[in-house]
Amino acid sequence: MLIFRSEEHIDKWCKAWRLPRGATLSVEQAWKLAHTWYGDRMSPDWRRRTVDEAHELFRSLGLTSEFWRLA
Amino acid sequence: MSEDFKNRVRVRLYQLFLELGRCPSMAEVAADLRCPVSEVATAFQGLAAAHMLVLQPGSGEVLMANPLSAVPTPFVVETQADGATRSWYGNCIWDALGVIAMLHGDGRVLTSCGCCGESMTVSVGHGEVEATPPGIVHFAIPARHWWDDIVFN
Repeated sequence: MLIFRSEEHIDKWCKAWRLPRGATLSVEQAWKLAHTWYGDRMSPDWRRRTVDEAHELFRSLGLTSEFWRLA
Repeated sequence: MSEDFKNRVRVRLYQLFLELGRCPSMAEVAADLRCPVSEVATAFQGLAAAHMLVLQPGSGEVLMANPLSAVPTPFVVETQADGATRSWYGNCIWDALGVIAMLHGDGRVLTSCGCCGESMTVSVGHGEVEATPPGIVHFAIPARHWWDDIVFN
C-alpha cells in the first residue's frame, strides 16, 4: 500500500507495474483503518480477526466493495 | 507448543521492538524470556503460519511484525517521547500509520510518492491526520490476495 500525490500518479504507477487499478482511500480513511486495525496490537489479549470480524471492520469504515472481501 | 507461550513470545517481541527501536533477534527474545532459542524459533514459525508474523526466508528471523518492519523501508515512523525522537519502519503506508495507532500517540510518517518519489509527510496529531503535500492511498492488491505475496503487498 503506497501513497501518491494524485490520481494521475496512481494511474502512472499502475501502468508501469502492469497492474489494474486497485482501491483508493483518502488519508483520513487510511488513518481510520490503521487505527481500527492496529490499535490493539500490543495487547496480550489480541488475536487475529476472523474473516467475518475483518469484514465487519471494513464495513464500519464504508469499505464494502468486492475489493475488500477476504474470502 | 502452547498458545500461551507463543503469545508471550509475540507480546515480548513487540515490546522489545519498540524499546530497542529495531527488531530483536531470536536470541535476544530467548534471552529475555530465559528460554532456549529453539523454542523461540518454533514460536516464530507458529506465529508466521498463523499470519501473525512474517519471517525472513533464510535466517528465520522476523521480517515483519505488522505493522513494524525489521528492515528499512520507505515508510519511516517518528514519534516524540520525553523530548526524544523515536523511529521505526512501517511495511507500507497503512502499517506506518498503524505504528502510530498502536502507540496511541502522535507521530509522523516520512515517505514519498510511490510514482515520482516526491517527499511526503503524513502527520497525526490529536487524532487528526494530514498529508503534506496532499496525497491519496492506493491498495493495489484485493484483500483476498494480500497474503499471496505479503512482501510485495
